[in-house]
Parts: sequence; C-alpha cells; structure tokens
Amino acid sequence: MSKEDEKGMSLIVKTITRLTVGLILLYGLYIVFHGHGSPGGGFTGGVIIALSFIHLMLAYGKEVAFRKLSEAAASFFVSLGAILFLAIALLGFTGGYFFLNFIPKGEPFRLFSAGIIPLCDIAIGLIVGAGLFAIFVALVSLKLEPERKE
Amino acid sequence: MEVTVLVQATDKAFEILEKARNEARELLYSSAKLTSETKSLAERRQARAFLSGAQQSKLALRNFTIAFFVLFAFWILLSARFDYFHLTLGIICSMLVAYMSHDLLFSNIRLGDVRIKARRFFAAAPWFLGQIFSANLHVAYLALSPKMPVDPQIIRFKTKLESDISWVALANSITLTPGTITVDIREGEFFVHALDRKVAYELSTGQMEDKIAHVLMEADHVYIQDVLDVSRIFGALK
Repeated sequence: MSKEDEKGMSLIVKTITRLTVGLILLYGLYIVFHGHGSPGGGFTGGVIIALSFIHLMLAYGKEVAFRKLSEAAASFFVSLGAILFLAIALLGFTGGYFFLNFIPKGEPFRLFSAGIIPLCDIAIGLIVGAGLFAIFVALVSLKLEPERKE
Repeated sequence: MEVTVLVQATDKAFEILEKARNEARELLYSSAKLTSETKSLAERRQARAFLSGAQQSKLALRNFTIAFFVLFAFWILLSARFDYFHLTLGIICSMLVAYMSHDLLFSNIRLGDVRIKARRFFAAAPWFLGQIFSANLHVAYLALSPKMPVDPQIIRFKTKLESDISWVALANSITLTPGTITVDIREGEFFVHALDRKVAYELSTGQMEDKIAHVLMEADHVYIQDVLDVSRIFGALK
C-alpha cells in the first residue's frame, strides 16, 4: 500500500502510522466503554477515535482515510449518535422526567453499572468521533474563495 | 637474433589473443547469466500475479486473525478484568478494529521465525544502547567545547535492506542516535544529516545497518554513494 500511494508523508511516518493506527482506535473504544468506571468518557474516547482517522488521513492522504470512514458514514454516525442521545434522554419520561435514570444502577466499578451513563457515553463517543473527523475533513477539503475587492 | 625476437613477438601476440578470448568469454557468460536472472525474475513475478487472486482472500483472513489476537491482547492489557461481559465486549471491539485496520497492520510483514528475531533483538539491544550512550557523550563534547567543532553534512547512501519495516527500523535507530537524523527515505535511499565528520564516518561503516539486517534477517551490505557537504552550500549562500 505504501509503495503505491505516493501521496502523503514520508515512508517513516507512513509505516509507523500503519502499525499504530489500529491500537489507537482500540484505545479510543476502550476509553468510551470504560468511561463511567475509570478516567475518560464519551468525549475523550471520541476524540481519540477521531484522531486515529485523522492520523491516517495526515499520513496517507484523503483517499485511504475515506476508504475506512467515508464522509457519508461520518455524517451518518454523527446523526445516529445525536438521535441515540436524545432517545436516551426522552426515555427518562417513562419514569417521570427528562434524563431520568431508568436502568438499575448496579454495583460501582463494574462495566455494566451507573445506569444510563455508559449508554450516553457511547452516544457521545459516536457524535464526537465522527463529528471531529467531519470537522477536520471540512477544514481540509473546503476552501473559502477569497472575496473580490471592488 | 631476429628469429628469437620474432618468436617472442608471436608468443606475446598469442598471449594477448588468449587473454582477449578469455575476457570475451567471461563477458558472454556474465551477460547470459544476467539475462537468465531477469527472465527468472519475470517468470516469478508472473507466477505471483497468477496466484495472487486465489491467495488474496486467504491472506486477508490470516491478517485479520493475527490482527485480532494482537488487538485483543492489547484490550486485555488495558482492561485487566476477566468476566464474560468485559471479554465479549473486548472481542467485539477487537473484531471491529481488526476488520477496519488489518490491511494496514500487516500489509508487508513476513511472519514465521519470530522467535529468532526476538532473540536476536535482545542480543543486539545492548549494542544499540552502548552506541546511543557513546554518541551522547560525543555530542555533549561537541556542544561544550568552546570552539564548537561541528561540521554538518548530509550523507546519502543506498541500503541493501528490502522491506519498508527494516528501512523504518534503520531510520529510527539512526534518528535515535544523537548527532544523526534521518531526513528522508526515497526508494531505499537514505538522506541522513550528521553533525560532524566522525559521526558521519561511524554511520558510513554501516555497522548499524548490518545489525538491523541481522535482527530482521535481511541482506547486509552498504556503500556510501557520495557525501554532500552542507557547509560548502552554506558558505556559497553566505
């Protein structure tokens, strides 16, 4: 792959990226899923997930990164995360009011505990991960045309 | 008298003729060898192209499983909890990530003989550490001596290492050694910035490359193509 694609940075950056990008993505997922029991959470993990794709884009160029996560998929995940988050909040109405914890709280420091917070974390991770990537794509690929001076 | 001279002359002429014939024969042999080599290379490439269609899916599956196990080990290292819920979540996440990044993680790695590589790596590690230590001392000497006898130059050399992994290993160990920085790699050609002539000379002996070739089990030869003197360019600019 690295020999065919002449775009992007030098071979050193490409190879190191190739070896580390999967681990970064997995670390982001870990942070998202363990956010309620240990340091981290939806936003932090989402940023790390987005960074793994941004890393790929910086090293290899746009095409390779879009093969992993296309623009359409990114916008889909942003919308999905937002809808999930809203749905979790609205489901609180089943117990009485907005953002009510309707799931049993469980034991502390277990993975499946803390009620709706892990679900919220997952939704936030989706939004932030895909959204930050989309913001980066927008910054990279969209160019503002300079205004004409009259 | 004249006869003896004539005989000697003819002898010499015959000798020269024989030499020329031998040389021509060697040339012919070498050219024949070259053509046969190129032909066999082309045949091998054709065979590889023919096989690749069938092998590609098998290779992808192998890469996927290896990537999955590496990532799952990483997950367990992070999570360090062994109940079913955590492990299933880890399996799901690792499978997802392995599916997304298996072609990146193992696109150009030859497997097998991992144990030999690991043993050789641990055998070679003290040498690298010692090299870094002595280079540290040398750079400290350069920086602290009042005249600052630096002589920056960019060395260009071609390696006989083959895979990009070993290129990157060599480049990073050159960068890790104080006084030398790998600027770029272009198709096996290294551009290394060296701080002075001694450092450049140590680099040009190719010891580090030999060590890396030994660790990663590759061919081990090096030759300096030429030395670009940066100070001269700086002088011209001034």
